[in-house]
Amino acid sequence: MSDGLRESEGPESPAKPVPFRGGGFLPKPRRIVAPIVFIALIAFWEFGCRVGFISPLILPAPSEAFDAFMNLVRTGLLWDHLAASLQRLLIGWSAGTLLGIFVGTLIGLFSLARSGLQPLVSAIFPVPKIALLPLFVIWFGIGEGSKVATILFGTFFPTVIATYGGIDNVDRNLIRMGQSFGLSKLSIIRKIILPGALPAILSGARISAAIAIILLVAAEMIAAEYGVGAYILLAGSLMATDQLIAGVALLSLMGLVFAWLIGQAEKYFLKWR
Amino acid sequence: MNSMTRRSFKKAVIGSALALATLGASSLPAFAADKITVGALRFTSHAPSFVAYEKGYFTDEGLEVEFKFFQAAQPMAVAIASGDVDFGITAISGGLINLAEKGAVKVIGGGLQEEPGVNGQVILASKGAYDDGLTDPSKLKGRSFGITQAGSSFHYMAAKIAEKEGFSTADMKLVPLQKVGAIIGALKSGQVDAWSIVPHIGIPLAKGDAVVQIGMVADYIPDYQVTTVFTSTKNAEEKPDLVKRFLAAFSKGADDFNAALVDKTEGEDGANAMITLIHKYVYADQPIEKAAPSIQNGAMRMNKGAALNMTNITDQLDWFKAEGLVSKDIAIETLVNTSYVETF
Amino acid sequence: MDLNLRHISHHYDEVEVLRDINLDIRRGQIVCLIGPSGCGKSTLLRLIGGLERPTGGEVLQSGEVPEGCLNPLTYIFQDFALLPWRTVEANVSLVLEDHDLSAAAREAIIADVLARTKLADFRKAYPRQLSGGMKQRVAIARALSVRPAVLLMDEPLSALDSQTRELLMDDLVDLWEKEQYTAAYVTHNLNEAVRLGHRIVVLSRRPGEIREIVEIDMPLSDRRSDNSELEAIQKRLWNLMREEALAADRELLDV
Repeated sequence: MSDGLRESEGPESPAKPVPFRGGGFLPKPRRIVAPIVFIALIAFWEFGCRVGFISPLILPAPSEAFDAFMNLVRTGLLWDHLAASLQRLLIGWSAGTLLGIFVGTLIGLFSLARSGLQPLVSAIFPVPKIALLPLFVIWFGIGEGSKVATILFGTFFPTVIATYGGIDNVDRNLIRMGQSFGLSKLSIIRKIILPGALPAILSGARISAAIAIILLVAAEMIAAEYGVGAYILLAGSLMATDQLIAGVALLSLMGLVFAWLIGQAEKYFLKWR
Repeated sequence: MNSMTRRSFKKAVIGSALALATLGASSLPAFAADKITVGALRFTSHAPSFVAYEKGYFTDEGLEVEFKFFQAAQPMAVAIASGDVDFGITAISGGLINLAEKGAVKVIGGGLQEEPGVNGQVILASKGAYDDGLTDPSKLKGRSFGITQAGSSFHYMAAKIAEKEGFSTADMKLVPLQKVGAIIGALKSGQVDAWSIVPHIGIPLAKGDAVVQIGMVADYIPDYQVTTVFTSTKNAEEKPDLVKRFLAAFSKGADDFNAALVDKTEGEDGANAMITLIHKYVYADQPIEKAAPSIQNGAMRMNKGAALNMTNITDQLDWFKAEGLVSKDIAIETLVNTSYVETF
Repeated sequence: MDLNLRHISHHYDEVEVLRDINLDIRRGQIVCLIGPSGCGKSTLLRLIGGLERPTGGEVLQSGEVPEGCLNPLTYIFQDFALLPWRTVEANVSLVLEDHDLSAAAREAIIADVLARTKLADFRKAYPRQLSGGMKQRVAIARALSVRPAVLLMDEPLSALDSQTRELLMDDLVDLWEKEQYTAAYVTHNLNEAVRLGHRIVVLSRRPGEIREIVEIDMPLSDRRSDNSELEAIQKRLWNLMREEALAADRELLDV
């Protein structure tokens, strides 16, 4: 060690590389894995049904479910069911979301609304809306009213909570900045508070869209002739498990499409992040 | 809630004590009692099983019975298909036929039977519709009719009423509401015009202000086989002895029930004793004074010897096929095993 | 326009924060407020701009508001307070939108202030794309756009690294040379105070009282960082503050 310049030539002990201890704990999406898992699972399922170790009573073969689905396409019923369900989802979800943002904003901004409504929201949110179905029938009739109302009620509460949570998390300094420049109350709400709460509102929308689809089946329990939920209910009561699987697959497809749409909305509205 | 739990606990204790006692007292230990599970709803229509249990008819046949209670017939059918329950009583429905097609269940005997002149299912109208002219079933054309689901017994009854009155089912607006409770709500609030239902629900409803009775189902389907006894295909094919013993005990229960409450040959005391017995299982949350009329209301004819009305069963199956609710290829043998009881 | 603080005192619940502050902020002067942490200098700035109401005393405006002034008392914040979802130009536009200005007039103001703060090339950038120094320049541009009578700056350079701080300090000096703005400037950095302050107000620890007001006559443009006279003043300020800072430090530990 006397010769400080010749650092690379150490004394007796042989040089070895420092052991690598970093890495890992960073799962990355690998695009091809998901389809492979999906296809393998379906292939195994089909195989099991064909060979017979999965009895038709336990689970219909995917091909049968697909046949049931194609039946829907061929008879044109698919469009009737989809149109009915999408209309209910769209009206119920948008009305629930808009109302939820409105009430959530009130709770987020005004002491009176906060003290009056927040406990109410917390009390009603966990009530399963399915339990209220008989009441909805009496309040809103057996037409579209009670179906839309079920979805509306289901999406309203999570949106309220997401909205006032989002508003609570808006940087107070930004609001103070707005006040210091003499911005009007309305401008502060419109230009600072609501855009600041938007990320929370959008992730609330993700949840409420899923809840809307979950509630679709419940909503279509009441006097629904068409609708994906009604189709699933009928399949269930007829023990037509192939139709049941086809209907459930349709629901999950709708869920995927909604999630994708909200993802696009997030990309567009939150491009500043 | 609490009292119910206590009651069922007490019942369980008594039940197992009884079972133990009979086991111990049995002087013929030639065979150990076979354990079976019987699915039931807390309806008067399930009374024969309760009678057979309480009067020891099951024990006499060497059966150790455990009841499993359900809220609706549909899950009971699924439980039989899955092997969790051995025997059940339910109406023929699209679901039951499809389960039979999958080789899971078989109808083996008769339960409730419509019989003109005897208490039976009633046809109801909402007060609003009644005041508006829906005073008897012939005026159901163009009206809405509550059902639980397409392919339910309510759907079948509506279709049969329409057929007899000379119009088509499509002339009525059938409203699927999934649950009996939901239909009651819709009928009371005038959201559906009409409904048909077993008497123990229908008669109290008609006594209220919101609902009017406008007819009897028996006038339209006089031989209606309302409920049937069914079991798993496995039981029906591999354990004929067990099935026979169950049906024998069940029939004895049905005979006692008919005698006490339908034919009323046992006098007032006999009827009261029967009602007290049934009250242990049905309306147990109400005092006997309140429960008694409801139980009496629900007393429809039970098939003697669990005999099965094949004419009507075939008609029901054909109707389900015609409605496209079940596959056209299902043979009556797929649904029914006729080897156990008399058919007519 | 001048600001006159008369017997300002302030409490938060039981805690007395400021006691009997009397101070004039005269037109064209930069007044620096320094003091140990927790002495209430930021609170004082909020009282001056009307974001909080003092428990006692009053802040008076005297003299005419300059022509075309949209927001006489305008803040510049330590954390910049830019809206992350608005671009540079839209952040400036935000504070003009509530005023009765034509689109062309608004656009002219935006272009002018962005040019003056050397941000013209970054009009369409979002705050996340900018460095800390650039963000504070946007905040300064925004403040200038409303033609303030008095700028209220709350530690505007504290969130920046020292090189950026030097550059921005030069910018502030240049700007003052051109337009002689009036400002109250809160800082805990003595070097900033001696570089920018015409008057330096030293506050005591809590409850904040004025301990001393130091006037510096030297023109801002002559104040270089290696100037010995300034160093002497800075040393004097430090000696004034040292005990207060030590005591304040202990006090905080006691809480």
